[in-house]
Amino acid sequence: MSQTTIRSLADHFADQVERQPDAPALIWDGEPISYAELKGLADAAYDEIESARLPDDRPVGIRAKKSPEAIALVLACLRAGKSFLLPSIELAPETLAQLFAQAGVSQVLSPHGPRSQSAASLRALVDDTRADPETAGSEWPPAGGGDDVTFMLTTSGSTGLPKIVPLPASGVDAFTDWAADQFEIRPGTVVTNYAPLNFDLCLLDIWTTLKHGGCVALVDQDRATQGAYLAELVNQNQVGVVQAVPMLYRLLLDVHREDGRTFPSVRHVITTGDKIPPSTLAELPNLFPNARFYNIYGCTETNDSLIHEFQGLAEGNVPSNVPVGQPIPGVIVRVQSEDGTPLEGTGTGEFMVWTPFQTRGYLKSSLNAEKFVAVEDDAGHTYYKSGDIVRRHEDGTLTLEGRADFYVKVRGVRVSTQVVEQAIQEHPAVVEVAVIAVPDELAGARLHATVRREPDVKLNSLILRQHCATRLARTEMPSTILIVTEPLPKTSTGKVDRKAVAAELERSRANG
Amino acid sequence: MDETTVKIKAFIVEEFMPDVSPDELEDDFDLLTGGVVDSLGLLKVVAWLEDEFDIGVDDSELGPDSFRTVAAIKEYVDQARPTANAE
Repeated sequence: MSQTTIRSLADHFADQVERQPDAPALIWDGEPISYAELKGLADAAYDEIESARLPDDRPVGIRAKKSPEAIALVLACLRAGKSFLLPSIELAPETLAQLFAQAGVSQVLSPHGPRSQSAASLRALVDDTRADPETAGSEWPPAGGGDDVTFMLTTSGSTGLPKIVPLPASGVDAFTDWAADQFEIRPGTVVTNYAPLNFDLCLLDIWTTLKHGGCVALVDQDRATQGAYLAELVNQNQVGVVQAVPMLYRLLLDVHREDGRTFPSVRHVITTGDKIPPSTLAELPNLFPNARFYNIYGCTETNDSLIHEFQGLAEGNVPSNVPVGQPIPGVIVRVQSEDGTPLEGTGTGEFMVWTPFQTRGYLKSSLNAEKFVAVEDDAGHTYYKSGDIVRRHEDGTLTLEGRADFYVKVRGVRVSTQVVEQAIQEHPAVVEVAVIAVPDELAGARLHATVRREPDVKLNSLILRQHCATRLARTEMPSTILIVTEPLPKTSTGKVDRKAVAAELERSRANG
Repeated sequence: MDETTVKIKAFIVEEFMPDVSPDELEDDFDLLTGGVVDSLGLLKVVAWLEDEFDIGVDDSELGPDSFRTVAAIKEYVDQARPTANAE
Protein backbone atom coordinates (compact mmCIF):
# COMPACT_ATOMS: atom_id res chain seq x y z
CA MET A 1 0.00 0.00 0.00
CA SER A 2 2.80 2.35 0.88
CA GLN A 3 4.21 1.88 -2.62
CA THR A 4 1.22 3.58 -4.25
CA THR A 5 1.19 6.35 -1.63
CA ILE A 6 4.86 7.14 -2.09
CA ARG A 7 4.39 7.63 -5.78
CA SER A 8 1.25 9.62 -5.45
CA LEU A 9 2.64 13.08 -6.10
CA ALA A 10 4.83 11.82 -8.94
CA ASP A 11 1.91 9.95 -10.45
CA HIS A 12 -0.29 13.00 -10.30
CA PHE A 13 2.38 15.03 -12.04
CA ALA A 14 2.65 12.35 -14.75
CA ASP A 15 -1.14 12.53 -15.18
CA GLN A 16 -0.95 16.28 -15.70
CA VAL A 17 1.83 15.88 -18.26
CA GLU A 18 -0.37 13.48 -20.21
CA ARG A 19 -3.50 15.59 -19.87
CA GLN A 20 -2.04 18.99 -20.74
CA PRO A 21 1.55 18.69 -22.01
CA ASP A 22 1.64 22.18 -23.45
CA ALA A 23 0.14 23.99 -20.48
CA PRO A 24 2.63 26.03 -18.44
CA ALA A 25 3.82 24.28 -15.29
CA LEU A 26 6.29 26.97 -14.24
CA ILE A 27 7.09 30.57 -15.03
CA TRP A 28 10.77 31.28 -14.56
CA ASP A 29 12.52 34.49 -15.45
CA GLY A 30 9.52 35.64 -17.47
CA GLU A 31 9.37 32.44 -19.57
CA PRO A 32 6.79 29.66 -19.31
CA ILE A 33 7.98 26.07 -18.95
CA SER A 34 5.35 23.56 -20.05
CA TYR A 35 4.45 20.34 -18.27
CA ALA A 36 6.16 18.40 -21.09
CA GLU A 37 9.32 20.48 -20.76
CA LEU A 38 9.40 20.07 -16.99
CA LYS A 39 8.94 16.33 -17.45
CA GLY A 40 11.93 16.39 -19.79
CA LEU A 41 14.09 17.97 -17.08
CA ALA A 42 12.75 15.53 -14.48
CA ASP A 43 13.41 12.53 -16.74
CA ALA A 44 17.03 13.59 -17.21
CA ALA A 45 17.49 13.90 -13.44
CA TYR A 46 15.74 10.55 -12.93
CA ASP A 47 18.09 8.82 -15.38
CA GLU A 48 21.04 10.25 -13.55
CA ILE A 49 19.74 9.00 -10.20
CA GLU A 50 19.04 5.55 -11.63
CA SER A 51 22.44 5.26 -13.29
CA ALA A 52 24.17 6.24 -10.03
CA ARG A 53 22.83 2.98 -8.52
CA LEU A 54 22.29 4.54 -5.13
CA PRO A 55 21.48 2.16 -2.28
CA ASP A 56 17.73 1.61 -2.08
CA ASP A 57 17.37 2.01 1.64
CA ARG A 58 19.12 5.35 2.06
CA PRO A 59 17.78 8.83 1.44
CA VAL A 60 19.53 11.39 -0.70
CA GLY A 61 20.35 14.99 0.08
CA ILE A 62 19.31 17.79 -2.22
CA ARG A 63 21.31 20.96 -2.18
CA ALA A 64 19.55 23.28 -4.54
CA LYS A 65 18.58 26.86 -4.93
CA LYS A 66 15.13 27.36 -6.37
CA SER A 67 15.07 26.81 -10.15
CA PRO A 68 13.15 24.67 -12.67
CA GLU A 69 16.05 22.19 -12.56
CA ALA A 70 15.82 21.97 -8.77
CA ILE A 71 12.08 21.31 -8.98
CA ALA A 72 12.75 18.67 -11.64
CA LEU A 73 15.26 17.04 -9.30
CA VAL A 74 12.64 16.79 -6.55
CA LEU A 75 10.16 15.33 -9.06
CA ALA A 76 12.80 12.77 -10.05
CA CYS A 77 13.34 11.74 -6.42
CA LEU A 78 9.59 11.41 -5.97
CA ARG A 79 9.39 9.21 -9.06
CA ALA A 80 12.33 7.10 -7.89
CA GLY A 81 10.59 6.64 -4.52
CA LYS A 82 13.54 8.13 -2.68
CA SER A 83 13.36 10.00 0.60
CA PHE A 84 15.22 13.26 0.26
CA LEU A 85 16.50 15.82 2.72
CA LEU A 86 15.99 19.33 1.40
CA PRO A 87 17.73 21.82 3.71
CA SER A 88 18.26 25.54 3.24
CA ILE A 89 21.20 26.34 1.01
CA GLU A 90 21.89 29.33 3.23
CA LEU A 91 23.16 27.09 6.02
CA ALA A 92 26.87 26.97 6.75
CA PRO A 93 28.63 24.05 4.96
CA GLU A 94 29.45 22.52 8.35
CA THR A 95 25.77 22.57 9.36
CA LEU A 96 24.67 21.15 6.01
CA ALA A 97 27.20 18.35 6.33
CA GLN A 98 25.97 17.56 9.84
CA LEU A 99 22.38 17.40 8.64
CA PHE A 100 23.20 15.20 5.67
CA ALA A 101 25.19 12.92 7.94
CA GLN A 102 22.38 12.76 10.48
CA ALA A 103 19.97 11.72 7.75
CA GLY A 104 22.44 9.10 6.55
CA VAL A 105 22.21 10.24 2.93
CA SER A 106 24.00 8.15 0.34
CA GLN A 107 24.58 11.08 -1.98
CA VAL A 108 24.14 14.83 -2.10
CA LEU A 109 22.47 15.82 -5.35
CA SER A 110 22.55 19.19 -7.03
CA PRO A 111 20.54 20.15 -10.10
CA HIS A 112 23.67 20.62 -12.14
CA GLY A 113 24.87 17.10 -11.68
CA PRO A 114 26.50 15.32 -8.78
CA ARG A 115 29.93 16.33 -10.05
CA SER A 116 29.49 19.98 -9.19
CA GLN A 117 32.19 21.12 -6.86
CA SER A 118 30.05 22.14 -3.93
CA ALA A 119 28.19 18.86 -3.91
CA ALA A 120 31.44 16.93 -4.10
CA SER A 121 33.00 18.79 -1.22
CA LEU A 122 29.87 18.31 0.84
CA ARG A 123 29.89 14.63 0.09
CA ALA A 124 33.43 14.50 1.37
CA LEU A 125 32.24 16.15 4.56
CA VAL A 126 29.41 13.66 4.89
CA ASP A 127 31.78 10.74 4.42
CA ASP A 128 34.00 12.28 7.01
CA THR A 129 32.54 9.95 9.68
CA ARG A 130 30.50 12.71 11.17
CA ALA A 131 27.59 10.34 10.95
CA ASP A 132 25.27 10.55 13.92
CA PRO A 133 25.26 7.12 15.57
CA GLU A 134 21.63 7.48 16.56
CA THR A 135 20.25 8.09 13.08
CA ALA A 136 22.89 6.92 10.64
CA GLY A 137 23.68 3.58 12.23
CA SER A 138 22.72 0.25 10.82
CA GLU A 139 19.12 0.56 11.90
CA TRP A 140 17.50 2.49 9.11
CA PRO A 141 14.95 3.97 9.05
CA PRO A 142 14.98 5.67 12.45
CA ALA A 143 11.81 6.61 14.34
CA GLY A 144 10.52 9.46 12.21
CA GLY A 145 11.56 7.94 8.89
CA GLY A 146 9.99 5.07 7.05
CA ASP A 147 9.58 3.81 3.54
CA ASP A 148 6.62 6.08 2.92
CA VAL A 149 8.62 9.24 3.62
CA THR A 150 9.38 11.49 0.68
CA PHE A 151 10.10 15.05 1.75
CA MET A 152 12.42 15.60 4.68
CA LEU A 153 12.44 19.28 5.57
CA THR A 154 14.12 20.98 8.47
CA THR A 155 13.04 23.40 11.16
CA SER A 156 14.55 26.86 11.00
CA GLY A 157 17.00 25.97 13.73
CA SER A 158 16.78 29.22 15.66
CA THR A 159 18.32 27.32 18.54
CA GLY A 160 21.09 24.94 17.56
CA LEU A 161 21.14 22.48 14.69
CA PRO A 162 17.94 22.48 12.60
CA LYS A 163 15.79 19.42 13.26
CA ILE A 164 15.00 17.06 10.41
CA VAL A 165 11.27 16.59 9.84
CA PRO A 166 10.34 13.57 7.69
CA LEU A 167 6.91 13.92 6.10
CA PRO A 168 4.90 10.79 5.32
CA ALA A 169 3.64 10.77 1.72
CA SER A 170 0.07 10.27 2.96
CA GLY A 171 0.30 13.55 4.86
CA VAL A 172 1.65 15.41 1.84
CA ASP A 173 -1.11 13.87 -0.26
CA ALA A 174 -3.87 14.92 2.14
CA PHE A 175 -2.45 18.41 2.51
CA THR A 176 -2.06 19.08 -1.20
CA ASP A 177 -5.67 18.00 -1.78
CA TRP A 178 -6.95 20.27 0.99
CA ALA A 179 -4.97 23.24 -0.32
CA ALA A 180 -6.15 22.76 -3.92
CA ASP A 181 -9.74 22.61 -2.80
CA GLN A 182 -9.51 25.57 -0.41
CA PHE A 183 -7.76 27.93 -2.84
CA GLU A 184 -9.26 26.68 -6.12
CA ILE A 185 -5.93 25.53 -7.53
CA ARG A 186 -6.56 23.71 -10.81
CA PRO A 187 -5.54 23.83 -14.51
CA GLY A 188 -5.30 27.49 -15.45
CA THR A 189 -4.62 28.75 -11.92
CA VAL A 190 -1.35 30.66 -11.51
CA VAL A 191 0.16 30.54 -8.01
CA THR A 192 3.19 32.56 -6.91
CA ASN A 193 5.92 30.82 -5.01
CA TYR A 194 7.72 33.34 -2.83
CA ALA A 195 9.38 31.06 -0.25
CA PRO A 196 12.70 29.32 -0.82
CA LEU A 197 12.43 25.73 -2.07
CA ASN A 198 13.21 24.16 1.31
CA PHE A 199 10.29 25.88 3.10
CA ASP A 200 7.17 23.92 4.04
CA LEU A 201 5.19 26.71 2.33
CA CYS A 202 6.23 25.17 -1.00
CA LEU A 203 3.95 22.21 -0.27
CA LEU A 204 1.15 24.64 -1.00
CA ASP A 205 2.44 26.92 -3.69
CA ILE A 206 4.66 24.55 -5.70
CA TRP A 207 3.63 20.97 -4.98
CA THR A 208 -0.13 21.45 -4.67
CA THR A 209 -0.09 23.44 -7.90
CA LEU A 210 1.91 20.90 -9.92
CA LYS A 211 -0.20 18.05 -8.58
CA HIS A 212 -3.40 19.76 -9.65
CA GLY A 213 -2.30 21.06 -13.03
CA GLY A 214 -1.82 24.75 -12.26
CA CYS A 215 1.15 26.96 -12.98
CA VAL A 216 3.75 28.16 -10.46
CA ALA A 217 5.23 31.63 -10.97
CA LEU A 218 8.59 31.23 -9.23
CA VAL A 219 10.10 34.20 -7.45
CA ASP A 220 13.85 34.30 -7.98
CA GLN A 221 15.48 34.26 -4.53
CA ASP A 222 18.01 36.86 -5.63
CA ARG A 223 15.25 39.33 -6.44
CA ALA A 224 12.87 38.54 -3.58
CA THR A 225 13.19 42.02 -2.05
CA GLN A 226 12.65 43.96 -5.30
CA GLY A 227 9.13 45.35 -5.22
CA ALA A 228 8.98 46.29 -8.90
CA TYR A 229 10.05 42.78 -9.98
CA LEU A 230 7.48 41.16 -7.68
CA ALA A 231 4.67 43.45 -8.84
CA GLU A 232 5.50 42.67 -12.46
CA LEU A 233 5.56 38.94 -11.77
CA VAL A 234 2.08 39.01 -10.22
CA ASN A 235 0.47 41.15 -12.90
CA GLN A 236 2.10 39.84 -16.06
CA ASN A 237 1.26 36.26 -15.20
CA GLN A 238 -2.29 36.91 -14.02
CA VAL A 239 -1.52 35.32 -10.68
CA GLY A 240 -4.60 34.02 -8.85
CA VAL A 241 -3.15 32.81 -5.55
CA VAL A 242 -0.46 34.47 -3.43
CA GLN A 243 0.94 32.92 -0.27
CA ALA A 244 3.74 34.74 1.51
CA VAL A 245 5.17 36.15 4.68
CA PRO A 246 4.07 39.73 5.45
CA MET A 247 7.24 41.14 3.86
CA LEU A 248 5.99 40.45 0.33
CA TYR A 249 2.86 42.47 0.99
CA ARG A 250 4.86 45.37 2.38
CA LEU A 251 7.01 45.35 -0.77
CA LEU A 252 3.95 45.32 -3.04
CA LEU A 253 2.42 48.06 -0.92
CA ASP A 254 5.43 50.29 -1.56
CA VAL A 255 4.91 49.82 -5.30
CA HIS A 256 1.21 50.58 -4.92
CA ARG A 257 1.94 53.80 -3.05
CA GLU A 258 4.40 54.88 -5.71
CA ASP A 259 2.38 54.29 -8.85
CA GLY A 260 -1.08 53.27 -7.69
CA ARG A 261 -0.73 49.80 -9.14
CA THR A 262 -3.22 47.11 -8.07
CA PHE A 263 -3.33 43.35 -8.56
CA PRO A 264 -6.84 42.56 -9.76
CA SER A 265 -6.15 38.99 -10.96
CA VAL A 266 -5.47 37.71 -7.43
CA ARG A 267 -8.39 35.81 -5.86
CA HIS A 268 -6.75 34.39 -2.73
CA VAL A 269 -4.21 36.20 -0.56
CA ILE A 270 -2.62 34.19 2.22
CA THR A 271 -0.38 35.65 4.88
CA THR A 272 1.61 33.27 7.02
CA GLY A 273 4.82 32.73 8.96
CA ASP A 274 4.84 35.99 10.86
CA LYS A 275 2.49 38.48 12.48
CA ILE A 276 1.16 40.86 9.86
CA PRO A 277 1.19 44.48 11.05
CA PRO A 278 -2.36 45.94 11.17
CA SER A 279 -1.21 48.84 8.97
CA THR A 280 -0.25 46.40 6.19
CA LEU A 281 -3.39 44.33 6.69
CA ALA A 282 -5.62 47.40 6.38
CA GLU A 283 -4.20 48.22 2.94
CA LEU A 284 -4.47 44.73 1.42
CA PRO A 285 -7.92 45.36 -0.15
CA ASN A 286 -6.46 48.36 -1.99
CA LEU A 287 -3.76 46.13 -3.44
CA PHE A 288 -6.00 43.17 -4.24
CA PRO A 289 -9.47 44.50 -5.04
CA ASN A 290 -10.90 41.07 -5.99
CA ALA A 291 -9.35 38.82 -3.38
CA ARG A 292 -10.31 36.97 -0.25
CA PHE A 293 -7.80 37.24 2.58
CA TYR A 294 -6.53 34.57 4.96
CA ASN A 295 -4.10 34.12 7.78
CA ILE A 296 -2.67 30.61 8.05
CA TYR A 297 -1.03 29.16 11.14
CA GLY A 298 1.25 26.19 10.80
CA CYS A 299 4.74 24.84 11.23
CA THR A 300 7.01 22.33 9.50
CA GLU A 301 6.18 19.54 11.95
CA THR A 302 2.40 19.64 11.46
CA ASN A 303 2.05 21.65 8.25
CA ASP A 304 -0.86 24.11 8.23
CA SER A 305 -3.31 23.60 11.05
CA LEU A 306 -5.50 26.71 11.36
CA ILE A 307 -6.95 29.16 8.88
CA HIS A 308 -8.61 32.50 9.48
CA GLU A 309 -10.45 34.31 6.73
CA PHE A 310 -10.64 38.07 7.26
CA GLN A 311 -14.12 39.50 6.83
CA GLY A 312 -14.72 43.13 5.97
CA LEU A 313 -11.10 44.30 5.68
CA ALA A 314 -12.16 46.73 2.95
CA GLU A 315 -14.74 48.21 5.33
CA GLY A 316 -12.01 48.90 7.87
CA ASN A 317 -12.66 45.83 9.99
CA VAL A 318 -8.97 45.29 10.83
CA PRO A 319 -8.23 43.24 13.93
CA SER A 320 -5.22 44.50 15.90
CA ASN A 321 -4.57 40.98 17.11
CA VAL A 322 -5.19 38.52 14.28
CA PRO A 323 -7.09 35.38 15.37
CA VAL A 324 -5.15 32.21 14.54
CA GLY A 325 -8.35 30.86 13.06
CA GLN A 326 -10.35 27.69 12.76
CA PRO A 327 -8.92 24.17 12.49
CA ILE A 328 -8.50 22.92 8.94
CA PRO A 329 -10.82 19.90 8.41
CA GLY A 330 -9.40 16.90 10.26
CA VAL A 331 -7.22 18.98 12.58
CA ILE A 332 -7.64 18.62 16.34
CA VAL A 333 -6.64 21.44 18.69
CA ARG A 334 -5.90 21.36 22.39
CA VAL A 335 -5.04 24.35 24.57
CA GLN A 336 -3.16 23.13 27.58
CA SER A 337 -2.92 24.96 30.90
CA GLU A 338 0.30 25.11 32.85
CA ASP A 339 -0.81 22.16 34.97
CA GLY A 340 -1.20 19.93 31.91
CA THR A 341 -4.99 19.87 31.80
CA PRO A 342 -7.01 21.19 28.87
CA LEU A 343 -7.92 24.85 29.32
CA GLU A 344 -11.62 25.29 30.00
CA GLY A 345 -13.15 28.61 28.99
CA THR A 346 -11.09 31.74 28.59
CA GLY A 347 -7.43 32.19 29.47
CA THR A 348 -4.01 31.32 28.12
CA GLY A 349 -2.25 28.04 27.51
CA GLU A 350 0.09 26.24 25.16
CA PHE A 351 -1.27 25.46 21.72
CA MET A 352 -1.12 21.75 20.94
CA VAL A 353 -2.31 20.22 17.72
CA TRP A 354 -2.73 17.04 15.75
CA THR A 355 -3.05 17.30 11.97
CA PRO A 356 -3.59 14.68 9.27
CA PHE A 357 -0.47 16.08 7.60
CA GLN A 358 1.99 15.87 10.43
CA THR A 359 5.30 14.09 10.80
CA ARG A 360 5.58 10.99 12.95
CA GLY A 361 8.44 12.72 14.72
CA TYR A 362 11.87 14.19 14.16
CA LEU A 363 14.37 11.93 12.47
CA LYS A 364 16.50 12.07 15.58
CA SER A 365 14.11 10.35 17.95
CA SER A 366 15.76 11.61 21.14
CA LEU A 367 14.33 15.04 20.25
CA ASN A 368 10.76 13.80 20.20
CA ALA A 369 9.84 13.28 23.82
CA GLU A 370 9.47 16.94 24.65
CA LYS A 371 7.63 18.02 21.48
CA PHE A 372 5.34 15.10 20.66
CA VAL A 373 3.04 13.84 23.37
CA ALA A 374 0.33 11.23 23.38
CA VAL A 375 -2.77 12.61 25.00
CA GLU A 376 -5.34 10.37 26.57
CA ASP A 377 -8.37 11.59 24.72
CA ASP A 378 -10.95 9.88 22.56
CA ALA A 379 -8.79 9.92 19.48
CA GLY A 380 -5.58 8.79 21.20
CA HIS A 381 -3.52 10.98 18.88
CA THR A 382 0.02 12.16 19.35
CA TYR A 383 -0.09 15.92 19.65
CA TYR A 384 2.60 18.36 18.70
CA LYS A 385 3.49 20.90 21.37
CA SER A 386 3.85 24.07 19.36
CA GLY A 387 5.55 26.13 22.05
CA ASP A 388 3.13 28.93 21.20
CA ILE A 389 1.07 30.43 23.98
CA VAL A 390 -2.46 31.30 22.84
CA ARG A 391 -5.30 33.15 24.49
CA ARG A 392 -8.87 31.91 24.22
CA HIS A 393 -11.34 34.79 24.20
CA GLU A 394 -14.96 34.82 25.31
CA ASP A 395 -16.20 34.15 21.78
CA GLY A 396 -13.92 31.11 21.55
CA THR A 397 -11.39 32.60 19.13
CA LEU A 398 -7.70 32.03 19.77
CA THR A 399 -4.98 34.65 19.38
CA LEU A 400 -1.23 34.27 19.69
CA GLU A 401 0.38 35.60 22.84
CA GLY A 402 3.95 34.61 22.09
CA ARG A 403 6.41 31.77 22.35
CA ALA A 404 6.48 29.71 25.52
CA ASP A 405 10.29 29.94 25.39
CA PHE A 406 10.05 33.69 25.85
CA TYR A 407 8.10 33.58 29.08
CA VAL A 408 10.02 34.54 32.18
CA LYS A 409 8.96 35.18 35.75
CA VAL A 410 9.47 38.70 37.01
CA ARG A 411 8.57 39.13 40.66
CA GLY A 412 6.49 36.00 40.39
CA VAL A 413 4.50 37.18 37.36
CA ARG A 414 4.73 35.45 33.98
CA VAL A 415 5.94 37.95 31.40
CA SER A 416 6.57 37.42 27.70
CA THR A 417 9.72 39.18 26.52
CA GLN A 418 8.21 39.07 23.03
CA VAL A 419 5.29 41.22 24.12
CA VAL A 420 7.73 43.75 25.55
CA GLU A 421 9.79 43.70 22.37
CA GLN A 422 6.70 44.30 20.26
CA ALA A 423 5.69 47.30 22.35
CA ILE A 424 9.14 48.87 22.08
CA GLN A 425 9.33 48.03 18.38
CA GLU A 426 6.20 50.09 17.78
CA HIS A 427 8.11 53.28 18.54
CA PRO A 428 9.01 54.87 15.17
CA ALA A 429 12.61 55.62 16.19
CA VAL A 430 13.32 51.98 17.03
CA VAL A 431 15.09 49.85 14.40
CA GLU A 432 15.37 46.64 16.41
CA VAL A 433 15.20 45.48 19.96
CA ALA A 434 16.14 42.55 22.17
CA VAL A 435 14.52 42.06 25.54
CA ILE A 436 16.18 39.60 27.85
CA ALA A 437 15.68 38.43 31.40
CA VAL A 438 18.63 39.14 33.65
CA PRO A 439 18.83 36.94 36.75
CA ASP A 440 18.27 38.95 39.88
CA GLU A 441 18.64 37.77 43.44
CA LEU A 442 15.63 39.61 44.72
CA ALA A 443 13.25 39.74 41.78
CA GLY A 444 14.09 36.35 40.29
CA ALA A 445 14.57 38.05 36.96
CA ARG A 446 14.56 41.61 35.75
CA LEU A 447 13.97 42.69 32.21
CA HIS A 448 16.61 44.44 30.19
CA ALA A 449 16.09 45.96 26.75
CA THR A 450 18.84 46.73 24.28
CA VAL A 451 17.38 49.01 21.64
CA ARG A 452 18.92 50.13 18.38
CA ARG A 453 17.60 53.51 17.34
CA GLU A 454 17.40 55.13 13.92
CA PRO A 455 20.38 57.38 13.26
CA ASP A 456 19.84 61.12 13.73
CA VAL A 457 16.74 60.83 15.88
CA LYS A 458 16.37 61.54 19.53
CA LEU A 459 15.57 58.54 21.64
CA ASN A 460 16.38 57.90 25.25
CA SER A 461 15.08 55.60 27.94
CA LEU A 462 12.64 58.23 29.21
CA ILE A 463 11.01 58.63 25.81
CA LEU A 464 10.76 54.85 25.49
CA ARG A 465 9.31 54.50 28.95
CA GLN A 466 6.66 57.08 28.17
CA HIS A 467 5.89 55.18 24.96
CA CYS A 468 5.65 51.84 26.78
CA ALA A 469 3.67 53.10 29.77
CA THR A 470 0.39 52.93 27.86
CA ARG A 471 1.22 49.59 26.25
CA LEU A 472 2.74 47.47 28.99
CA ALA A 473 1.91 46.34 32.48
CA ARG A 474 4.22 47.42 35.29
CA THR A 475 5.82 43.99 35.49
CA GLU A 476 6.48 44.07 31.75
CA MET A 477 8.42 47.34 31.90
CA PRO A 478 12.18 46.77 31.47
CA SER A 479 14.24 47.66 34.53
CA THR A 480 17.11 48.79 32.37
CA ILE A 481 17.19 50.12 28.83
CA LEU A 482 20.33 50.46 26.76
CA ILE A 483 20.11 52.46 23.55
CA VAL A 484 22.65 51.82 20.81
CA THR A 485 23.13 52.78 17.17
CA GLU A 486 25.03 49.77 15.89
CA PRO A 487 23.17 46.65 14.65
CA LEU A 488 22.29 44.00 17.24
CA PRO A 489 23.96 40.59 16.92
CA LYS A 490 22.08 38.17 14.63
CA THR A 491 21.63 34.41 14.40
CA SER A 492 22.37 32.48 11.22
CA THR A 493 18.74 32.93 10.18
CA GLY A 494 18.97 36.70 10.52
CA LYS A 495 16.99 37.04 13.71
CA VAL A 496 18.18 39.10 16.66
CA ASP A 497 20.40 36.86 18.77
CA ARG A 498 19.19 37.44 22.33
CA LYS A 499 21.80 35.14 23.82
CA ALA A 500 24.56 37.21 22.26
CA VAL A 501 22.89 40.39 23.49
CA ALA A 502 22.80 38.93 27.00
CA ALA A 503 26.44 37.91 26.78
CA GLU A 504 27.43 41.42 25.65
CA LEU A 505 25.52 42.93 28.52
CA GLU A 506 27.23 40.66 31.01
CA ARG A 507 30.63 41.52 29.59
CA SER A 508 30.01 45.25 29.79
CA ARG A 509 28.78 44.92 33.38
CA ALA A 510 31.78 42.84 34.35
CA ASN A 511 33.98 45.60 32.96
CA GLY A 512 32.17 48.10 35.11
CA MET B 1 13.08 75.27 39.22
CA ASP B 2 13.74 75.11 42.95
CA GLU B 3 16.81 73.48 44.36
CA THR B 4 15.07 70.44 45.84
CA THR B 5 13.46 69.52 42.51
CA VAL B 6 16.80 69.91 40.72
CA LYS B 7 18.50 67.63 43.23
CA ILE B 8 15.77 65.00 43.01
CA LYS B 9 15.83 64.96 39.23
CA ALA B 10 19.61 64.78 39.14
CA PHE B 11 19.58 61.80 41.48
CA ILE B 12 16.85 59.87 39.67
CA VAL B 13 18.38 60.42 36.28
CA GLU B 14 21.84 59.46 37.42
CA GLU B 15 20.66 56.40 39.26
CA PHE B 16 17.98 55.05 36.91
CA MET B 17 18.25 56.74 33.50
CA PRO B 18 21.87 57.70 32.83
CA ASP B 19 21.12 58.36 29.16
CA VAL B 20 18.59 61.10 29.94
CA SER B 21 19.28 64.72 30.81
CA PRO B 22 17.64 65.90 34.09
CA ASP B 23 15.70 68.74 32.47
CA GLU B 24 13.89 66.23 30.24
CA LEU B 25 12.30 64.60 33.23
CA GLU B 26 8.93 66.26 33.81
CA ASP B 27 7.80 66.95 37.37
CA ASP B 28 4.66 64.89 36.87
CA PHE B 29 6.16 61.94 34.97
CA ASP B 30 4.88 58.74 36.56
CA LEU B 31 8.05 57.01 37.68
CA LEU B 32 6.27 53.82 38.71
CA THR B 33 4.12 53.28 35.64
CA GLY B 34 7.11 54.23 33.52
CA GLY B 35 9.12 51.50 35.19
CA VAL B 36 11.87 53.95 36.18
CA VAL B 37 11.58 53.17 39.86
CA ASP B 38 10.41 49.76 41.00
CA SER B 39 9.95 48.60 44.57
CA LEU B 40 13.68 47.99 44.97
CA GLY B 41 14.48 51.33 43.36
CA LEU B 42 12.10 52.96 45.78
CA LEU B 43 14.28 51.80 48.69
CA LYS B 44 17.27 53.47 47.04
CA VAL B 45 15.29 56.69 46.66
CA VAL B 46 14.26 56.64 50.30
CA ALA B 47 17.80 55.97 51.53
CA TRP B 48 19.04 58.87 49.45
CA LEU B 49 16.30 61.21 50.66
CA GLU B 50 17.09 60.41 54.29
CA ASP B 51 20.74 61.04 53.68
CA GLU B 52 20.52 64.07 51.43
CA PHE B 53 17.78 66.01 53.24
CA ASP B 54 18.40 64.63 56.67
CA ILE B 55 14.85 63.49 57.11
CA GLY B 56 13.39 60.33 58.53
CA VAL B 57 11.04 58.31 56.39
CA ASP B 58 8.58 56.20 58.29
CA ASP B 59 8.14 52.78 56.73
CA SER B 60 4.40 53.17 57.03
CA GLU B 61 4.58 56.13 54.67
CA LEU B 62 6.22 54.09 51.96
CA GLY B 63 3.07 53.95 49.86
CA PRO B 64 3.67 54.14 46.14
CA ASP B 65 1.79 57.42 45.76
CA SER B 66 4.20 59.44 47.92
CA PHE B 67 6.98 58.83 45.46
CA ARG B 68 5.16 58.41 42.17
CA THR B 69 6.46 61.63 40.58
CA VAL B 70 9.25 64.12 41.12
CA ALA B 71 6.60 66.60 42.28
CA ALA B 72 5.30 64.10 44.86
CA ILE B 73 8.79 63.42 46.17
CA LYS B 74 9.47 67.14 46.49
CA GLU B 75 6.22 67.63 48.36
CA TYR B 76 7.17 64.83 50.73
CA VAL B 77 10.57 66.38 51.36
CA ASP B 78 9.04 69.82 51.92
CA GLN B 79 6.61 68.46 54.47
CA ALA B 80 9.26 66.40 56.22
CA ARG B 81 11.42 69.47 56.85
CA PRO B 82 9.15 72.51 57.04
CA THR B 83 12.01 74.84 57.91
CA ALA B 84 13.79 74.15 54.65
CA ASN B 85 10.81 75.54 52.81
CA ALA B 86 10.93 78.84 54.64
CA GLU B 87 14.59 79.52 53.92
